[in-house]
Amino acid sequence: MSRNAVQFQQKPDFPASHFVDTRIYTDPQIFREEQEKIFKKVWMVACHESELANPYDYRTYQHPGGANLFLVRGDDMKIRCFYNFCTHRGNTLLRDPSGNAKHITCIFHMWSFDCRGSLSDVTREKEGYQSRIDKESLGLREVRAQVDFSGVVWVNLDDGCTDLESYIGEALDYLKEELSAEPLEVFHYHRAIVETNYKLWHDTNSEIYHDYIHYHNRKTGMMQKGYFDRKFHCFPNGHGRLDSMEIRYDAYEGTDGQRRLDWPRAPKACHKFIDLFPGVTYNLRSPTFRLDSMIPLGPAKVMIEYRGLAPKRDSAAERRQRVKDYIGIWGPFGRNLHEDLLAVRGQAQALAGVQSYILHAREEGLNSHDEIGMRHFYAEWTRRMGRSSSDPYAESVGTRDKVDRSAMAA
Amino acid sequence: MPSGVSPEQAATTLVYRSCLLLDEKKFNEFLDLCTDEFHYTITAYSPEVRAEMTWMDEDKASMKRTLDVLPRHNSDHSPLSRHATVYTVDYDDSKKEASVVSALQVFKTSLDGGVTQLFAVAKLYDIISVNGAGARFVRRNVRLETRMLGIGSHIPF
Repeated sequence: MSRNAVQFQQKPDFPASHFVDTRIYTDPQIFREEQEKIFKKVWMVACHESELANPYDYRTYQHPGGANLFLVRGDDMKIRCFYNFCTHRGNTLLRDPSGNAKHITCIFHMWSFDCRGSLSDVTREKEGYQSRIDKESLGLREVRAQVDFSGVVWVNLDDGCTDLESYIGEALDYLKEELSAEPLEVFHYHRAIVETNYKLWHDTNSEIYHDYIHYHNRKTGMMQKGYFDRKFHCFPNGHGRLDSMEIRYDAYEGTDGQRRLDWPRAPKACHKFIDLFPGVTYNLRSPTFRLDSMIPLGPAKVMIEYRGLAPKRDSAAERRQRVKDYIGIWGPFGRNLHEDLLAVRGQAQALAGVQSYILHAREEGLNSHDEIGMRHFYAEWTRRMGRSSSDPYAESVGTRDKVDRSAMAA
Repeated sequence: MPSGVSPEQAATTLVYRSCLLLDEKKFNEFLDLCTDEFHYTITAYSPEVRAEMTWMDEDKASMKRTLDVLPRHNSDHSPLSRHATVYTVDYDDSKKEASVVSALQVFKTSLDGGVTQLFAVAKLYDIISVNGAGARFVRRNVRLETRMLGIGSHIPF
C-alpha cells in the first residue's frame, strides 16, 4: 500500500539503529559538521609510498577537511606532510599533482622551503626585512603523517589525534599476511567525482546484499556454497570486515573464466574486504587489490580515489595479467564498479529534497546479507557527530540528551 | 576495396564507420570491421602517480564475450556520440597497413531531458590493414586525455 506525505515521514517500526534519516545525506550543515568533527579528526589515506619513491618526490592531496596538502619524501627518506601554502602571501606552492622538487619554491615571489618544511630562502631578504624576520618562525604547517599497513600514507589534521595503530586497532589483521608478504606499488589510479554522499559509497562497500546489482555476482557468487555463511565482524572506531570466500571465476559469463595469478600468501581467488571509518576500503579480490579512499566535496558530491596495488616484483607478463584482471571488474570501464556507482548516484538523485528514512535493518545472524556493517558505521557516526543518525535534529523527545550522554561516555 | 579508392581514403572511411557503428551500439558489426588478430586498448597517462594506465585491454574474442553479455549488466543507457577527425594517414605499401591518428571527442546525452555533455577527449591510434579485401582494424588504442569519467562506462569508446 502506498503512503501519503505524513505516513512517508513516519519512523519505521524498527529500533533506531536500524534506519537513518535521509537528511544526513543531504543537509549542507551536517556536511560542514562532518568536516569538523570527523574528517579533521581521523586518519585519512593520502597516497601510497610508492608514489613517493625517491628523495624529494612530492604528491599533492586535497584533504576532505578542506585543506590542500602535499607530501614529500625527505632527504632522510621520511615522508612528511605540509599545508600547500606559502607562508608569505598564501599562494599554492606545488601546483602539479606530483613531481620532484629539492627546493619547494613559490612562483609568486620565489620564497623557498626545504623538504622538512623550513623556510630556506627569501628573495631580497635584507633589503626588504632588514633583520626583522626570523625564518624559523615562518616554516610550513606540518601535518601528522605516517606510513603503515602495506605502505599506505596516512595523514591526520589533528595534532592531538590518537595514534594510527590505536585508530585502526585489529581491523586490518585479516589482511596482515597478504599485505605484508611483499612490497607493493600502485599500478592503477583513477578518480571518480560522483554526485552522491560519501556515506552512501561507504555503505555500498559495507554490505554485499547489493550483489543483486552485479550480473557476475548474482549469477555466480550468490550461487556458491558458503556465500551466505560469511560473517561480518565489527571493530572499534566504526571499522568492519566480512569473511572471505573463494570466487568461482570460471562461472563468470562474458569472461575467459580464469585467474592465472595468485596473490602472495592469499587463499586462491579469495575476496577479503575491510572497511575503515569514515571512508577507506581495503579490497583484495585475489589476484588484485584495490584501495578506495574518499574526498567528500559536499553533501551530494564525492571524489573517490581508486588505487590498484600489486607486488613490485611482478614480471611484465604478470603485471599485464594483473592489470587485465583488475580493470575488467574495477576499472572505469569495468563491469562491477560502474554498476556500484550507478546505484549510489541513483540514491542521491532519489534522496534529494526528500525527508524520510531508509533501512539498515536486515538481520541474518551477522551473515553475508546482514546489514550490521552499516549499523556499526552509523553508531560511530552518531558518537562522533553528537547527532543520532536516525534522529539528527533531535526531533524525538529525549534524543538529544541520549546522544550527548553517549558521546560524552565515548 | 572499390576501385578508385585510395588506401588513405579507405582507412579514413573505416575510422568514421567505426564511430557510427559504436554510436548505434552495433558491436558485432563493429567487430566485423576488425581482423581476427584485432587488439583494443584504452590507455591514459596518470600525472598523479606518474605512470601509464591501461583501462581496457581486449582481443577480438574477449571483446565479443564482454559485449555479448552487456544487456545483462546494469549500465548507464545514455547514448554516446563519437566525433572523430582523422588527422593523419600514413600508408605503408610494403605491409599493406595504414597508421591513422584521429582526434576523438565523446559526448554523452542524458536519456532524461537530452542534455549533452562532453564525456571524454582522446586520440585514436589505429593500425588498419588495407588490401584487396578492403580495410580492417588490426589494432586500436584509445589514448585518453580525460581521466575523470564519473560513474564510468561499460561501452568502449
